[in-house]
Amino acid sequence: MKRKTKRLLLNWKILLLILFLVGSIATLALRPLTYGIDISGGVALVAQTEHPVDSKTMSVVVDSLQRRLNNLGLRDITVEAQGNQIVLVKVANISTEEQANQIKTVIESQGVFYMEFSGVIFGTGKDVEYVGVYKINSDNSWSVPFRISKSAAEKFAKLAKGKPGWPVDMFLDPPVNSLLVVPESVYKAMNSSEFNARAPEAPTLLERITKAFNISVVAYANQSAGEIAKLAEGKDKVVLVDVPQELQTELEGMNVTVRYVARAQGESDHQLIVQVLGLYGPYSLGEGLTVGEAQQDVQITGSAPDRLSAEQEASKVYTVLKSGSLPVKLNVVGMQFISPRLGEGFKTQALYAGIGALIAVFLIVYFHYRNLKIAVPVASTSLFEAIIILGFAALIQWNLDLPSIAGIIAAIGTGVDQQVVITDELLGGERSTRVSRRSSVLRRMGRAFFVIFASAATTIAAMSFLLVYFVGTLKGFAFTTILGVLIGVLITRPAYAEIAKYLLGED
Amino acid sequence: MSKSKTRTGPSIDSIKAKEREKLSFLARMEYKKMITYPLAVFLIALILLAISFPPLGIDLNGGVVVTGYGVDANPDELAKYVSDKIGVDVRVERFTGVQSTGVRVYAPAGTDPVRIIRVLKERYPNAEYIHSEVQPTFGKIAQQQGIRALVFAFLAMAAVVFLFFRSLVPSLTIIFSALSDMTIAVALMGIFGIELTTATIAALLMLIGYTVDSNILLTTKLLKRKEGSVEEAYLSAVSTGFTMSTTTLGALFVLWLVSTNQTIDNIAIVLIFGLLADFMNTWVLNAGVLKWYLTREARGGRV
Repeated sequence: MKRKTKRLLLNWKILLLILFLVGSIATLALRPLTYGIDISGGVALVAQTEHPVDSKTMSVVVDSLQRRLNNLGLRDITVEAQGNQIVLVKVANISTEEQANQIKTVIESQGVFYMEFSGVIFGTGKDVEYVGVYKINSDNSWSVPFRISKSAAEKFAKLAKGKPGWPVDMFLDPPVNSLLVVPESVYKAMNSSEFNARAPEAPTLLERITKAFNISVVAYANQSAGEIAKLAEGKDKVVLVDVPQELQTELEGMNVTVRYVARAQGESDHQLIVQVLGLYGPYSLGEGLTVGEAQQDVQITGSAPDRLSAEQEASKVYTVLKSGSLPVKLNVVGMQFISPRLGEGFKTQALYAGIGALIAVFLIVYFHYRNLKIAVPVASTSLFEAIIILGFAALIQWNLDLPSIAGIIAAIGTGVDQQVVITDELLGGERSTRVSRRSSVLRRMGRAFFVIFASAATTIAAMSFLLVYFVGTLKGFAFTTILGVLIGVLITRPAYAEIAKYLLGED
Repeated sequence: MSKSKTRTGPSIDSIKAKEREKLSFLARMEYKKMITYPLAVFLIALILLAISFPPLGIDLNGGVVVTGYGVDANPDELAKYVSDKIGVDVRVERFTGVQSTGVRVYAPAGTDPVRIIRVLKERYPNAEYIHSEVQPTFGKIAQQQGIRALVFAFLAMAAVVFLFFRSLVPSLTIIFSALSDMTIAVALMGIFGIELTTATIAALLMLIGYTVDSNILLTTKLLKRKEGSVEEAYLSAVSTGFTMSTTTLGALFVLWLVSTNQTIDNIAIVLIFGLLADFMNTWVLNAGVLKWYLTREARGGRV
């Protein structure tokens, strides 16, 4: 008997289990588990880029978002890109829903910034390398110094050569690739030299935005929705500016994306244009920049009638330059807020559920076989499996969220299934004769493991698509399920088979 | 030790024998019936789906949900109160768990959840609130991805099953069983008003792994049997399969009972639905097809 026990303990499958178990407990003791925000409390935001972007652009988005949120004084922020359009932002330790909403506003107010000259975009937000403190002079003129990238400076120098006084435009979130439908007077203003700074010979604002952003502008003259839709073919959206609002519903009925801009009370055509286009400027080009030499340190200057409005204008330009560093506009499309106290409650619930499930498994297996020698190993193997999964999670600092916990429980569920298969195959051998027993056991175990491998393979195959393709918060579910199945197949099931063989008297 | 072995050995055998006795009606059932009944259920499930498809949850459809833990109120009355205060129509659902009761307030996308919480706080200042909101555009993406994940996962499962069995009829039956399990689970979701969300889609994916288990067990036992009759192999598979499913169902039921978290609750309930459907699809449908297949093979016909 003793020799048999010793042989069991020295079996490599058992040793492997013990090794992993001890390792997991040690890991858990040294590196406590980290929890997802649905347990630790906090806010999770799903933001979507305006259009799909390449991986390089995506990493710029992630970096600048991380920096910006850090600047707010928030800690425990993770920003993660998923696919080519989704950014997942999680901020822990947020205790009120007002704080949560503030973060949402910050993410959404990140604009896409363009610098344009004569219809050519020579720089975007990522070309702004540094923004200096703005200065207000005693004559209420102001200036904001900033540095642009070398490539933008070179491009600009070539464009601006010999064109003193020409307009330089800056845009924050212009309606790229769209059709603008505007009142006649607005159209005229855009098509005149009103926005030309001190160079009437330069292209008009209308020409510049058409060339730079593919924005077409039409004057509204009672066109029908159908006619407008036809004009907008190939455009991303239609922007209706101060025209009858019925057009919006009619166009939306034709599946056209529409943005409606109403004229605020007392708003001039000029103000309306500036607002619709997200236009800052135009700023007149100083002579120093027109000699064809690249200069990275530049400044925007302007003047205002009084000190207060000078201050306002300068700070507006300053903020735009400083924050407009995202290459693409982000919209918050999903948001989840969980208070830390509730999260704590979920954690204890998950723990109780896990323990309860384990007890349920133990009782059902016991009442089924009426044999503690089966029920105890089955339940404890499941417990070991859970400990090893948790140990692994602690090791790689996986953030355990509720779906991850559900995944662990699901994996344990399949684990129990497979232990039952092993047990029954072993018990089935009871009736055969002693001579054929040994080979019969081997064959039966082979069959049990065929079933186990086949079902593990299907689960992993099914779950890996969730892991790779799904966005949002369910990756944890897929991850822990796959991890649990792998640990089960490679470590706990073979060990259970040995233990069961030993306890059920087979050799 | 050896003493206890002689004591427990026969008792397990007698338990197994009793169980086999109970289940032998399944073994004796005619395979035509075994195939017809589950197919009829599958068709009914399809019809039910056409009539009442499960509602899409806010993470697939867009919307706002505020959950108040510790709020004990009449849902209709509370819905009216909140709607009046914020000027947006809301729907209120009540739930109970082991430790607490609470309400979920659903509002259309674009509603400010903070306003709803403020209104609720006036009446229930001591409750805990969480909220989530999803824009319809993201809901569309999630829908597409959910469908894609389901289709791919299903195809991957089918490929693995073919690789393992390399035999057309048994493999196709397993695949159809899994499909029917999922269909019936979704139909039951529709009947019980359980929403289709990313969490329940994950549960449906999990179902692929769960339900295929018992089908693989049955197919292996019947096709690879070296000893005994088909009936004998079937009964041994059934008794193992029932133990497997009851333990899993037990664990899932406890999970569902203890948790008040919607994600965990819904994952548990969908898995329960699927496992219940799988009882029929594995032990009646799949077994019926295999019986038919093996009889044909024995007569020399190849499929």
